Amino acid sequence: MMRTIEILIVIIIITGAFITASFFAVLPWPRQVSPMNLRRLAFTTLQMLDSNYDLSNAAFETDDYALWGGLQVALAASLPPNVIYNLTVYEVTGETPQLYTIIDSMSNAESLGATSDASSYMVASSNVTFNVVPEKIGEHGGGGTLYILNCSDAPGWWITGYTAQSLAQDLNNLLSPYFSRTIVVQSTTQLATILDGNALQGENPQSAVVINTCGEAVPIPAGYYSSNGVGYDSSHNSYARYSYVLGQRVLEYNWTWVSIVGYPLYYVSNTGSFPTSQNTWGIYGMRDVGAAGLNAFLRGLDNQSYSYDTTWLTGSPGVVYLSNQAVDSSNYYGVYPSPYQTSTRALPTSIRNNYNLDVTTYVFNPVGNYIPAAVYRHKVTTGDTTQYEGGLYAIGLTRTTDIRLTTLGLLADYKPRLYHAEYTAKGTSRVVILQLGLIGGS
Amino acid sequence: MVSSTIDHMIAVTVFLAATLLFIGLFNQTIQTAVIYQRHRSTSTKASDLLDSMLLSPGIPVNWGQTDIDPTSFGLQDPEFTQYKISPYSLMRLRSSVGEPVYYNATEQYYSNVTIGERNFMLVPYNLALEYSAVTRLLGINNSYGFQITLTPIVTVSIQETSESPLTLKVTAAGIGFPLSYATISYCFLKVGVKGQSPNYDISFNTVSADETGSVNINIDGVAAGDAYCLIVYARKGGLVGVGYYERVDPSERYVIPFIDSFEDGRVLLAHSYDVHLGGPPESAVFFNATFVLLTEDFTLREMPITQEKTQIVYGHGSDKTYENITIPTHNPGILVVTYISNNQDGVVLMPWGLSSLAFPVTFGGDASKQEWVATDIRQVTVGGIAYQAQIALWSLEGYQVIG
Repeated sequence: MMRTIEILIVIIIITGAFITASFFAVLPWPRQVSPMNLRRLAFTTLQMLDSNYDLSNAAFETDDYALWGGLQVALAASLPPNVIYNLTVYEVTGETPQLYTIIDSMSNAESLGATSDASSYMVASSNVTFNVVPEKIGEHGGGGTLYILNCSDAPGWWITGYTAQSLAQDLNNLLSPYFSRTIVVQSTTQLATILDGNALQGENPQSAVVINTCGEAVPIPAGYYSSNGVGYDSSHNSYARYSYVLGQRVLEYNWTWVSIVGYPLYYVSNTGSFPTSQNTWGIYGMRDVGAAGLNAFLRGLDNQSYSYDTTWLTGSPGVVYLSNQAVDSSNYYGVYPSPYQTSTRALPTSIRNNYNLDVTTYVFNPVGNYIPAAVYRHKVTTGDTTQYEGGLYAIGLTRTTDIRLTTLGLLADYKPRLYHAEYTAKGTSRVVILQLGLIGGS
Repeated sequence: MVSSTIDHMIAVTVFLAATLLFIGLFNQTIQTAVIYQRHRSTSTKASDLLDSMLLSPGIPVNWGQTDIDPTSFGLQDPEFTQYKISPYSLMRLRSSVGEPVYYNATEQYYSNVTIGERNFMLVPYNLALEYSAVTRLLGINNSYGFQITLTPIVTVSIQETSESPLTLKVTAAGIGFPLSYATISYCFLKVGVKGQSPNYDISFNTVSADETGSVNINIDGVAAGDAYCLIVYARKGGLVGVGYYERVDPSERYVIPFIDSFEDGRVLLAHSYDVHLGGPPESAVFFNATFVLLTEDFTLREMPITQEKTQIVYGHGSDKTYENITIPTHNPGILVVTYISNNQDGVVLMPWGLSSLAFPVTFGGDASKQEWVATDIRQVTVGGIAYQAQIALWSLEGYQVIG
């Protein structure tokens, strides 16, 4: 009998334990298991109301009954019937201790019930223009010079619909805010000057960016740089040697050479030097170099000996898409080229090993063994130290050129920061907070 | 000794019975907690999956405007950020609600979203993404099922209150409230006849609704039997909605538009008998197509369409029973096709970009047959029109429900 009583006592104890455990192990309400995400609902509602800046206008015109009342109508109409709201507009004062002061609010309930959540949304006054000051490339280190080749005595190719001069002007407008100095190289004579390492306007030629606006053609100065054994290869009747010298200069001065479209360095152009020569397509003042130009340039860039090599390098991957890095930069800098383009002159991945190149920025995603557009940096190893000296930004797209891609690639690679004007400047920004609650059964 | 043994046996029996009982009770509590955790996980997944679909355009980013299948799924409009959805990507989802339509001439099934009698969106199956393919692209095949529904927030209803003179009552309302004092922009298109072919007169105007969100629109020069259509855009405080109304002859001979290529903007116009009815030869249908698009200031603008032929023959030995037209833009708008056959005329509408006619879309599995479904919603804009996106998500791994 005693054992039975003991067991009954044990059962009472376990029952007590179960009741105690059940008391603490309270299962949540069904709405807590799968709650409506009120925070996201509030945020997306604010975004939707501001999709045409109606919210921004109303937040700055709370005394305007039509605007403020219209916002209330839209808010009430857009939320489910079981959702109650409180929308409050705050002024950003930017002063301590009170950073925000309440301007106005609207609500359709006295309290927001047991379950509520809120989202905030910053709106800007339509009367305010925010200034953006870009960081200058080179202001915190070497380089910072941008050379734009606008040689009046050198025609271009594959820039159909534009002239080298118009492209140079657009590039100047787009890129000069980001560089310490922007020099427009007006003739092949001036080009010879910078190839000699001399400044045109007191700038620092070292570590400069050189954009060739002539497309597949490259301006060639008359005289020394066109002479036999320097720019001219008499044994092959070719100016491929000039491209070799260009590669050497790019290495020597740590330049970044930019080819804006097509097959880089495919022609050389100078109306004075080649008045009766044409590029096989009827453009006079130009000589066909072919694939030997790029091969020679890469050999010069990698400090290899010159050889005349006509091996065709590029491939044609077709439609290509901007890389994630380019898309991010596109949004950051506000430069919006079409996200997909056609590439017929994409460089092969093999040049990275053959010429000690690293890709520092993919502008378009690689396709198979081809890279449609990328910034290549040349590696130089001294002892245990590896550094970059010289670079090439090749955009292997088909014509016609889009200089927004030139801009985007350079900005994505150099990454100059943008300093936005103070968003908390008094009277320019307001914060809208939408708090949502649920009514009805659980 | 005997009583002690009996006492022992009773005690052991009672103890074992009590132990089994308590194991069951504790097990029930633990199981309920486990199920709660699984439901909670499904709920979190629903929210994440909805954001994943709405905040990514997919790869390629413009897949909605092409005829190729995406390699990564997303519905965001690639030209915008935030919760702005591509009206073309939504068109390429195979509707899980409408009965598919088979068209003999192209030997294809078409995903069917038909609102009313003469408003069609028919997308060929080879261009419409199927549910299983999307679950694979999202990486949830065999683990979760879902259904996503996008419904317009603003409902614009149109009612003919007087035939002659023609008066139309337009009412705009949101989910829970009328759109008081909304601005109403409308396009009125009246069908006429020019020789054997239909002609049309088109006019545009903007008016304001009253505090109940209603306004009466009076149109002059419309007789009792005239066919017409009214397309309305209502906006207030950032909310934009669309409504439409047609008066057509009750003829069974009309034009049915089939989308043939998103990339080329090609639409096939077929004879209704060739699609729905069949049987002996019927009268030809003469048509006249135009395109109406919503501009950035929320007014409507007409964009004429080049059309080489304006007649669709049915059952007269023709080897091609449809005609092609090409929509010359990838801006969202409405294809308006006026038609006439045996003196019976009417209008057919087709959205180019789902939002132009505020068509709803339902895509995915059947949520009603699931044991436990997590839902979540977001407010989005599709081509400038306010929509609510709702996801229903369920686990395919099963739950051991008790009690």
